[in-house]
Amino acid sequence: MNLALINSGEAGARRTAKTWLITAWIAGLFCLAICATILYQHATATTNDPWKSPQLLKLKTALAAAPKDAQIKAQIRDLDLKYRQRFFRRLALDRTGGWLLLGGMAVFLAALWRAKNSDQVLSIPQPNLQAAREALRVEARSRLAVAGFAVVCVGAAAAFIKAGDSKMPLPQNPAAPPVPAAADALPPLAEFQANWPRFRGPDGSGFSPKANPPLAWDEGAKTNLLWKSAIPLPGFNSPIVWGGRVFLSGGDAQKREVYCFNAADGQLAWRRAIENVPGSPAKAPEVLEQTGVAAPTMATDGRRVYALFANGDLAALGLDGAPAWSKNLGTPKNQYGHATSLAIWQGKLIVQLDQGDSEPANSRLMAFDGATGKVVWEKPRKVPGSWASPIVVEAAGKAQIITAALPSLIAYDAVSGAELWKADVLEGEVAPSPILAGGLVCIASPSSKLIALRPDGSGDVTKTHVAWSNEENIPDVTSPTSNGELVFYVTSSGMLTCLDAKDGTKLWEHDFGTEIQASPGISGNRVYIVATDGHAWVVEAGREFKELGAGKLEDHFFASPAFVGDRLYLRGNAALYCIGVK
Amino acid sequence: MSTNPKEPVNRRNFLGAAARVAAMTGVGALLGKLAGATAAKGTVWQIDPAKCVRCGKCATACVLEQSAVKCVHAYAVCGYCELCTGYFGPEPNELTTAAENQLCPTAAIQRTYIEDPYYQYHIDEKLCIGCAKCVDGCNRYGNGSLFLQVRHDRCVNCNECAIARVCAGDAFVRVPVDQPYLLKTKPTTS
Amino acid sequence: MFRRLLHLLFGLLLLSATALAEQRFPPPDFESGYQLPTPTTPAPRAGLMQYADVVVLLSALALALWLVYRTRSRRGITALSLFSLAYFGFYRKGCVCAIGSVQNVALALCDSHYALPVTVLIFFLAPLTVALFAGRAFCAAVCPQGAIQDLVLIKPLKVPAWLETPLGLIPYLFLGAGVCFAATGSGFLICRYDPLVPFFRFNGSELMIGLGVAFLLAGLFVGRPYCRFLCPYGALLRLATLAAKWRVRVTPDTCTQCALCQHSCPFGAMREPTGMQKREPLKTSRLRLATFLLLLPVLVGLGAWGGSQLATPASKFNRTVKLAGRYVRSLTTPDRFPMELQRVEANPGPVLAKAEEIRQQFLLGATLFGGWVGLVFGVKFISLCLRRNRTDFEPDPGTCFACARCFETCPSERIRRGWIPAELETARSKE
Repeated sequence: MNLALINSGEAGARRTAKTWLITAWIAGLFCLAICATILYQHATATTNDPWKSPQLLKLKTALAAAPKDAQIKAQIRDLDLKYRQRFFRRLALDRTGGWLLLGGMAVFLAALWRAKNSDQVLSIPQPNLQAAREALRVEARSRLAVAGFAVVCVGAAAAFIKAGDSKMPLPQNPAAPPVPAAADALPPLAEFQANWPRFRGPDGSGFSPKANPPLAWDEGAKTNLLWKSAIPLPGFNSPIVWGGRVFLSGGDAQKREVYCFNAADGQLAWRRAIENVPGSPAKAPEVLEQTGVAAPTMATDGRRVYALFANGDLAALGLDGAPAWSKNLGTPKNQYGHATSLAIWQGKLIVQLDQGDSEPANSRLMAFDGATGKVVWEKPRKVPGSWASPIVVEAAGKAQIITAALPSLIAYDAVSGAELWKADVLEGEVAPSPILAGGLVCIASPSSKLIALRPDGSGDVTKTHVAWSNEENIPDVTSPTSNGELVFYVTSSGMLTCLDAKDGTKLWEHDFGTEIQASPGISGNRVYIVATDGHAWVVEAGREFKELGAGKLEDHFFASPAFVGDRLYLRGNAALYCIGVK
Repeated sequence: MSTNPKEPVNRRNFLGAAARVAAMTGVGALLGKLAGATAAKGTVWQIDPAKCVRCGKCATACVLEQSAVKCVHAYAVCGYCELCTGYFGPEPNELTTAAENQLCPTAAIQRTYIEDPYYQYHIDEKLCIGCAKCVDGCNRYGNGSLFLQVRHDRCVNCNECAIARVCAGDAFVRVPVDQPYLLKTKPTTS
Repeated sequence: MFRRLLHLLFGLLLLSATALAEQRFPPPDFESGYQLPTPTTPAPRAGLMQYADVVVLLSALALALWLVYRTRSRRGITALSLFSLAYFGFYRKGCVCAIGSVQNVALALCDSHYALPVTVLIFFLAPLTVALFAGRAFCAAVCPQGAIQDLVLIKPLKVPAWLETPLGLIPYLFLGAGVCFAATGSGFLICRYDPLVPFFRFNGSELMIGLGVAFLLAGLFVGRPYCRFLCPYGALLRLATLAAKWRVRVTPDTCTQCALCQHSCPFGAMREPTGMQKREPLKTSRLRLATFLLLLPVLVGLGAWGGSQLATPASKFNRTVKLAGRYVRSLTTPDRFPMELQRVEANPGPVLAKAEEIRQQFLLGATLFGGWVGLVFGVKFISLCLRRNRTDFEPDPGTCFACARCFETCPSERIRRGWIPAELETARSKE
C-alpha cells in the first residue's frame, strides 16, 4: 500500500508474498488440526462422559445385581476415574484450544493479508461503455429476483403454516378465568375492588360491599375454619389478598421476609427473604416488641407486591415471589417503630414516612413507580412520627392522598404530590387511620374526638370544612370503619359505637368488655369485630345493635380482617386463618 | 465535511432534513414512552429454588460448555445425614466415598466426617456441572439444602438466557444486579 | 444402623409425595464446636461497570466518526475494529450489543414487567442517532460482529447486484420477526441466531458454532455476509441513513471517474455515475412506477393477511403456548416429559388463559409483521424504479459501512495526501 512496495522489484515482492503464503498455509493447517482434535473429543463425548458411558452404566446395574462383587467395584472405580479425567481434560482442551485457534486464525489472516498486499498492483479499470445498459439490465433482473424472493418467502410461510398444524390443541377452557388485559395495563378497577390489595381493603375503610363470609366460626369445634397456616416470622401487618393468594410479611432482628399463601389450601406458596437491600443498615432498628419490624401492611397493584419494614427496606416482588426491585429509605426514627402501611394508586406506590419523636425530622410522602421503583415525586412533611396509614380517595374531581399526623390531616394530589388542603384537628399519638365515610373524610383524634371533614377545600380548612365531630368513646389505636351510611369504631377496652355518617349523631353503643386492638371491618351489611384474645363478633351494620354471630380462634389478634369473596382472612400472632363455609 | 458547501439547498437536502427531524422526533417519543420503563440498574439471571423442578437441563442448555449453573449448599438447612440422598444413589452399595456409591457424575461433592453421626457435604464448584442429580435426591428425600444457582463468576449474562428458554419449571428470573442470588435459608418454624 | 436408615429412607419415600420442603431431618446441634460454613456468592460484574461499557461505546463511536470523516484513515479504522473486537467481543462476550438491544426495547414497550436497563437503551440509541446524522460509523469499527467479519475478509468477490438486492431484504424481515417475538415475550430470536457471538464466548451449541464457521468462511470471500444479509440492527441503521446529514465521500477533491473505488469496495456499496444518455423511454418507467405504487397497498394487505395466517404456528414457539398445548394434549395422550407439565397440572387455568392471551398478541404481531414484509417488498420494487442522477462515484449511505477502504485507492485522495506524486500515478496506470 505504500510507495516503497510499488517501487521495489517485482521479484522481491513475489518472494515476500510466497513467504507469507507459506506462513498462512502453516497457520491454516494448525487451525484445522486443532479444530479436528476438538471435534473428535466432542464426537466421543456421547459415550465417554462419566454420566453417559453405557459401559459404566452397565457395570452399575451389574453391581446392583451382585452387591458383593469386588471386581465390578474395582472396574467401576477405574472407569469412573478415567472418564472423569477425560471429561475435564476435554474442558481444558476447549479452553486452551479456543485461544490457540484464535492465535492461529490471527496469524493465518495476517499472513494472507500480507501475501495479498505484497503483489497487489493497482490498475485503473477500463471505462465501461455499456454501463448504462448494464445498469438497466441489472435493475430488471433485480426486480425479477426480488419477485422471486417474494415467492420463496410465500412458499416458506406456507410450509411453515403447514408444518405447524394450524389447529393448535388449545380449546377455550370454560374453567379458565377471563383473558386478562394486555400485560402492561394495570388490572381493571373491578378486579382491584374484588380483592383486598392494601391495609383495610381497596379504599382503606375496611369495607367490602360484596364479600359474604360466614357469621360464626369456632376453631375448637372446627366449624367454618377452612385452614390455618403457621406464619414463620412475627409481624403485626394485616393480610392482603390478590387473585387467590394471601400475602403477609414478617420479621425479626435478623431477617425480614414476605410470605405468599395459596388461598385455596393455605399452603405456603413461597417465602422470600428481603436481604442485600442496597443501603440497608447492618443493625436492626430498635423497636418496641408491640410494633415489631413488620408492622406496615403490604400493598399490591395486581402485578407486584410491595413490603416495607421498620428498618426502611422497601421491596417489590412479582406475584410469584421474584424480586423486582428494592431500596432502603433510611431507617425511620420512630420511638415505637415504623408502622404506617403502604398505599397504592394506579400503579404508584405511596409511602408515608413520618419520623422524629417530637420534632419533625425528614418526614416525607413519596410516590414510587411500581414497575421500576423510581421516585415519581417526593414531598417533605413538617410533622413528627405518626402511625396512621394514608388512604387515596376520589373527591372534588381529584385523586387525593389523605394523610394523618400530629397536628394535621393533610391531603395531597395523587398525580403531582401537591398539597391540596390541611386541617389542624389532631392531637396525641396519631395511630387511627383516616377513612372515607359517605363522601366525608373521617378521622379519630386519639381518645379525644372523631371528626368528619368535607374533602373539597383548599389551603387551611380547619375552620371551614369540619362537617361534624363527636367526642364519645373515641379509640386510641383502632381506625373507624364505614359503609357510607354509618360509621363504627371500637375502643381498646371493647366499646363499639355507631354514628350516623351524615351528621355524626350517635345511634347506639355496645360494650364487649374485652381488649380489642384490631380495627373492625364491614362486609356487606355486617360488622366484624375481632378481639385480642381470639373472640370475634358479627354485628348487623344497622341503626340498632343486633348481634348476628360470634367466632372463636385460639390465638391473639392485632391485625385487621380481610374480606374476599365468601372468606375472611385473619392474621393471628402464630398463624393465618381462613374462615369460610366448606 | 462531506457535504459540498457550495451545494444549494435542494429538494434532497430538504427531504433529508425533514426525515431527520421526523426520526429524531420518533426517537424522542420512544424515549418518552420508555422513560417509565427504564431502570438504572441492570439485571442478572437467577434460579428461584422454590420453582426449580430439577429437570437437569441446566447442565446442557447453558451457552457455556460447563454450565454457569452449579449446586449450592445451604449448610443451615442441611441435616448432615450419614445417608445423604444427595450424595448417595437410591440404593447405595455402601456408605463410603467409593465411586460406585456416589450420585454425582463428576465427584463434585466432598463428604467429610464431622462428629458421630454427622457428615458435612461440600460442593467443589470446579467440578460441578449443574446436572441437579444431587439436588433432586436432596429435595425428594431430604431437607432440600442442595439447590441450583447461577454462579455469577461464570455466567456471561446473555441477553436471553439459553437455559431460561427451556427451563421446565420456569424458574429463571431476572433479578437486580445488586441482589444476584436467591439462596435458601433456614426455616424459622417447623 | 445402616438397615434402619434404609427403612427410614423408604418410609420417607412414600411420604415424599405429600411432604413439602420442610426439614425432614432437623439440623444437628454439634458438640465438636463445628462452625456452619456459609455458601459463597461470587458477585456478578458490578453494576457500575456497565456504565464503563457505555463510555467505551460512546468514545468508540466518536473516534470512529473522527477516523471516517477527519483523518480518513483505513489503518485507524482497522485498529479501532481490533479494539472493539477485543473489548465488546472477547472481553464483554458480545453481550449486551446494539443488535440485541432492539429486542429489549421492543419487550420494554410491550411488557410493563420488564424494566429496561438504561445502558441497554443507550446501546440501542447511540449508534442509531449517529446513523441519523453521519451514517453507519457504528458498523465501521465499533460493532464486534462487524469487526470480526471485516478482519477475515481476504479475497472479496463481488456478489452480483441482482442477487444482492433480494438478499438485502432479509435483515428487514429478520428485524420484523425479532421484534414480533420479543414484543410477545416469546424470546430473543436475534440473540439466539447470532452466529458470531459463540466465537466471543469460545462456547456455543453445535448448530450456532457451525453457522458461525460458515459465516466466517463465507466472510473470507464475501464482504461481511452477516452485516449485509442478516443483521436486523443494520436494517434499522440503513433506514436511519436515509436521513443522514453527512455522507461518506470517496474524496473531497474532484472525482476522476476512474472506478477504482468501485472495485475496491467489497460490499457493493459504490454507486456509479448515471451518465447523460437517455436510457429508457420515460413513459415506460413512469408506467412501471405507477404500477408498483398501486401495488404497494395490495402487497401490504396481502402480507398482513398472510401474516395473520402465520400467527398460530408462530405462537407455538412461545413457551407458555407450547406448554398449554402440551397440557391439553396430555389430557388425551400421555406426555413424554411430564415433569414440565407439573406446574400446569397444579393450576391449569392461569396458564391456559395466558396462552390464549399470547395467541391473541401473536395474531396482532404476526399481522403487523406480514404487513411489514409486504411494505418492505413494495418499497423495494418502487425504489428499483426510481432513478437518481449521480455525476460522480459515491457510496450508497445505506449500504456503506464506512470501512474507509475506498479512500486509499482513490488516486485523487492519494495525491491529496501526498502518498504519490501526481505524475507517477498517471504513468503507472498507463502501463
